[in-house]
Amino acid sequence: MKTRTVELVASPREPHFVGDGFRVHNFIPSAYRMDMIRMDPFIMLDYNSLYEFPPSKYPKGVGVHPHRGFETVTLAYKGKVQHHDSSGGGGVIGEGDVQWMTAASGVLHKEYHEEEWSKKGGAFQMVQLWVNLPKKDKMSKPKYQAIKFDEISRFELEEHAGIIEVVAGVYNGTKGVASTFSPIHMYNAKLNKNGKVNFEFPSHFNTVLLVLEGSITINGKEAVPTDHLALMANDGEAFEIEANENAVVLVLSGEPIKEPIAAHGPFVMNTKEELREAFNDFNNGKFGYLED
Amino acid sequence: MNSFSLKSYLSSNIDIDEMEISAIVEKCTTKKIRKDQFLIRSGEYCKHTFFVESGLLRQYSIDKKGKEHILNFAPENWFVTDRESSFFNQPSVYYIQALEDSEVVSIDEDFIHLLSEKFPAFTDFNNRLLHNHIRNLQNRIDLLLGANAEERYLQFVKMYPDIMLRVPQAMVASYLGITPESLSRVRKELALKNLKR
Repeated sequence: MKTRTVELVASPREPHFVGDGFRVHNFIPSAYRMDMIRMDPFIMLDYNSLYEFPPSKYPKGVGVHPHRGFETVTLAYKGKVQHHDSSGGGGVIGEGDVQWMTAASGVLHKEYHEEEWSKKGGAFQMVQLWVNLPKKDKMSKPKYQAIKFDEISRFELEEHAGIIEVVAGVYNGTKGVASTFSPIHMYNAKLNKNGKVNFEFPSHFNTVLLVLEGSITINGKEAVPTDHLALMANDGEAFEIEANENAVVLVLSGEPIKEPIAAHGPFVMNTKEELREAFNDFNNGKFGYLED
Repeated sequence: MNSFSLKSYLSSNIDIDEMEISAIVEKCTTKKIRKDQFLIRSGEYCKHTFFVESGLLRQYSIDKKGKEHILNFAPENWFVTDRESSFFNQPSVYYIQALEDSEVVSIDEDFIHLLSEKFPAFTDFNNRLLHNHIRNLQNRIDLLLGANAEERYLQFVKMYPDIMLRVPQAMVASYLGITPESLSRVRKELALKNLKR
């Protein structure tokens, strides 16, 4: 088995606000080399690095907007988010929870800081990832997987190295509860200082590591500081990470879907014609209605 | 974000070589402006036509009560200017402002003359643009005088398919000459009518 090396370590870009509730650094698709084709099936990754929101009487967030053609995955590390959608669904994504929303044929939704949390304010840290859907599933029925922190499978590493929370895919026989439309592994590696862990994914799976806390060293060579993202090359399968201090790392690895991508705003389809149709359907109310 | 260069816009609409046109287009200044910045403010003289290569602009006025009225949105591939000011040399009564970080080409009269001289086909094209502009203005007046909110909205999304997703609804309402509440109601009614699940 060959060692998978580090292709590049990306520092966080200038943050921008999504609505008034999410202060994010975009890595995919705007960071150097990490466009939708290179990162397939991961088409967008916004990282709200640890940020202190002051108390606010009205909850900050993002107003009503549509999605079609992909899934949005929200991982809440700190803070709480409340969401509502046009089919009447909704809920709270609490600390440690993961929300896997299959927008597919289309939803309208809005996302805000949870009301009580907003009144107190506090530390907020989240990742929002967009996972592309295969052509055959793009127009399937929307659905949610609300995965509570307690339901996430855990694999205890040897020698007190830490734990691997398996959200999707499988790690060493431990399976994640999230179902996916294409092969994807998603873990939170929570490592203790000097803890080491090995990962192994097929070399053609696109793979990134986002360091949310602490810092790590990959393959004994490449250091990745807090809030940085390591893009792994597709030159091998196995790699090792070591925590230089207590660390939390989001590990993503997915098989490329390898279908044409036509993307504009909140729609990611295969052709320009399908994009036009998406705008048309949205403008004509076919995504439903949701009060702002 | 999508972007369209003036060069390829001209060469795809007029029968001229992209290389030939490069030399001329390079004489124009391309400006990068941040969201909320102005290209023209009321009271200033507008000396240019702006072509949007990326981003989004709006042209609007402010009435005596301080209320904004949006005349035009100009997304990628659109030209915008205050012709009253630039052609008749009067102070502008409009504002032209970026609604997103944008890249625009400033086109002055000399550029238009140069293009017309070098490429007679451009004169025809420019003429067609002007007539198209007049057609749109007529259509807009007609809708403002006689159409209901839904008809105005449907015409709007046909012309600007992605603007609903790029600007606050209140701005679209301002363009349509209706209240934000009416726009909300129209969209809700359309959803009830068209939603098939």
